Amino acid sequence: MSTAPVQAVPALKDTKQPASARTRRRRGVNREGLEAGRRSTRTILWVLLAASLILYGFPFLYLLLTSFKTPIDTIAVPPTILPKEWTLDNYANALGRGGVLASFINSIQTAVISTLLSLVLAVPAAYGITRYKTASGRVFIMAALVTRMVPPVAIGIPLASMMASVGLSDTPIALSIAHTTISLPLSIWLMSSFFESVPKDLEEAATVDGCSRLGALWRVVIPVVSGGIAVTAIFAFLASWNEFLFALLMTAVRSQTTPVVIANFQTQFGLDWGSMTALAAIYSIPVILLTLLLQRKIVAGMTLGAVKG
Amino acid sequence: MSSRTKISRLAAVGGLSAAVVLAASACGAGGPAPSGPSGSSSINVLVEAGGHAELQPIADQCKKDTGVNVNFVELPYDGLFNRLSSEFSSGSVSFDVAALDSVWLPSFKDSLQPIDELFTDEAKKDIFPALVKEANVDGHFIGMPAWTNAEIVLYRKDLFEDPKNKADFKAKYGYDLAAPKTWQQYQDISAFFTKDGMYGTDVKGGVETEFLAHVLQAGSPMVLDSNNNVVIDNAAHKQALDFYTSLVKDAPAGAAQVDWAAAQNLFNQGKTAMTQFWAHAYRQIPKDSPVYGKVGTAPMIGGSAGVAGVPGPWYLSVPKATKNADAAKKFVKCAFDHNDLAIQSSLGLAARISAFQKYQDQPGYESFKPLIETLNAPATATRPATAKWQQIVDTVLVPMLQKAVAGGDSSALLADAKSKVQALLK
Repeated sequence: MSTAPVQAVPALKDTKQPASARTRRRRGVNREGLEAGRRSTRTILWVLLAASLILYGFPFLYLLLTSFKTPIDTIAVPPTILPKEWTLDNYANALGRGGVLASFINSIQTAVISTLLSLVLAVPAAYGITRYKTASGRVFIMAALVTRMVPPVAIGIPLASMMASVGLSDTPIALSIAHTTISLPLSIWLMSSFFESVPKDLEEAATVDGCSRLGALWRVVIPVVSGGIAVTAIFAFLASWNEFLFALLMTAVRSQTTPVVIANFQTQFGLDWGSMTALAAIYSIPVILLTLLLQRKIVAGMTLGAVKG
Repeated sequence: MSSRTKISRLAAVGGLSAAVVLAASACGAGGPAPSGPSGSSSINVLVEAGGHAELQPIADQCKKDTGVNVNFVELPYDGLFNRLSSEFSSGSVSFDVAALDSVWLPSFKDSLQPIDELFTDEAKKDIFPALVKEANVDGHFIGMPAWTNAEIVLYRKDLFEDPKNKADFKAKYGYDLAAPKTWQQYQDISAFFTKDGMYGTDVKGGVETEFLAHVLQAGSPMVLDSNNNVVIDNAAHKQALDFYTSLVKDAPAGAAQVDWAAAQNLFNQGKTAMTQFWAHAYRQIPKDSPVYGKVGTAPMIGGSAGVAGVPGPWYLSVPKATKNADAAKKFVKCAFDHNDLAIQSSLGLAARISAFQKYQDQPGYESFKPLIETLNAPATATRPATAKWQQIVDTVLVPMLQKAVAGGDSSALLADAKSKVQALLK
């Protein structure tokens, strides 16, 4: 109650000031208010960012820390975050296990082939769908989406039988084809959104300058969507790199990939957490490096897809 | 450099890489062809990841003895069954020998070759009786035991030998504190050690084998009788289930979720004084565990029918679809002949009685005598030979146990389980 007269006095004084001063003052107040609002928004965003980082980063951090724990530390009840005693034995065990190096090579082969197949098929498909806008194109893109709804386990066994019947059993190419069935629909959708964002005028200008339709695609459109291609390539690569079920059903001596080898640390006789986490940590390095290398392209690709031309 | 030139170069490099990768992909980095040509002396053996260690020293020896070279294909347990189902149903297999869990034999019997000639009288005498019976499906032997296991009792020798504990236990229960031999003793000891943040034992709601061993100890076949009638609601099953749940008060909380891994962790962390666990666990106690060197072993406890356990053997089988049947059978025979070599592996298990006996008195193999005693016990029996067994376990037995350890009424749960098993078998 006692504060009311105090507030009233400056208000009366203000009325005696020139209009321009009052406006400046109001602008100053607004600016301060806006600044304060921005600061609090920024703080909230930072808090949310930190929370998200912890939410997503903690499991990986825990995996990384577990890979440096001794066997008894890995199964401690209650679990400990930091190792009581740091050891590299798990890495030595994991890398010393037969077939690990071969599985890495197989994973790289499979992921590269699958990524290339996805891009080679998705780029022209997405371009055709977005530029020609035919009814069959719309049906095709919806049908591609439907294939994403089929659980992989439902097609895994028939696919394995088909590959065996054409003599591709236990080869990286068979697994790559299987992985392409997972990544291709998503790649088509992603590339479609990127092509949508490229103005048609660009192609028309290229055509006027003497380019064929394919020439315009190759020389003008693809360089513009290269960020989008990088994003699509990353998704396709990751889909293959981390895939487990098809690899389990379709690989044996020659082409077993690392996810299956990682799963092999869980046996009927126990779970070797240390070695399993060590190999998982090593296996994640190429993906992290790839993401860092293509970071700019990925960000560019994401913003490209967000703005319609 | 213009972006066009960049892209062209990138495309050229990409194309070249793709060509190299595609050329290389004709054969992966893992080794030779998945299955050698007909009559090849190289065979592929499909094995669960944990079993590879068991078979590797045998494979090395067999290469010297027979010239058969073995490539192992390791798969995780859960994936192995799917892989076997997939390949058997397609009629084309990428392996020449498969190591099969005993419960899978009935499911795959039509895809496996009989190996009756390997089961000589001499061989049969050296295999535990329950395993000889299990390997024979519909009148033919279709799997040669590679290694076997059974639950035994692991207990904290240091706590059992502590003079104060001994005196206190005797004063309270009127008999000496020692490894339990009966249900009553197991209950008493569990209650005695449940204090000061420690528990007498664990109760595993997430797995069924221990409950089934108690059913055998109570004098009944497990779930199905010899005529495939569902007997899960009989008195022995109720008695076994009531004993099982009676231990919950002396076990760590969350019994419904406790499985093998959790129980093993609890024991290795020193949180439980006793556990009924597969014998291999004795040799797998980590050296930095607080209980390392302080663990004693005893045969599985006994009920009214005496000691009984459920064996967990794995069999080497030869698929009908293999093109290398001769080499495959040579390896299976050789693996049986050199079965004792598996004991020197990290898991240290075998299948032949003579192999266990050879090591039973050596330090570090204290689990073998209780294991032999449990496997030789008259009431010990293998799981029912039905292709639906895994389904019965996953959809009826484990959910029933989880409800029981959470306080469910045993009679009602068993009656409900009976109708569900009957429905599955129809």
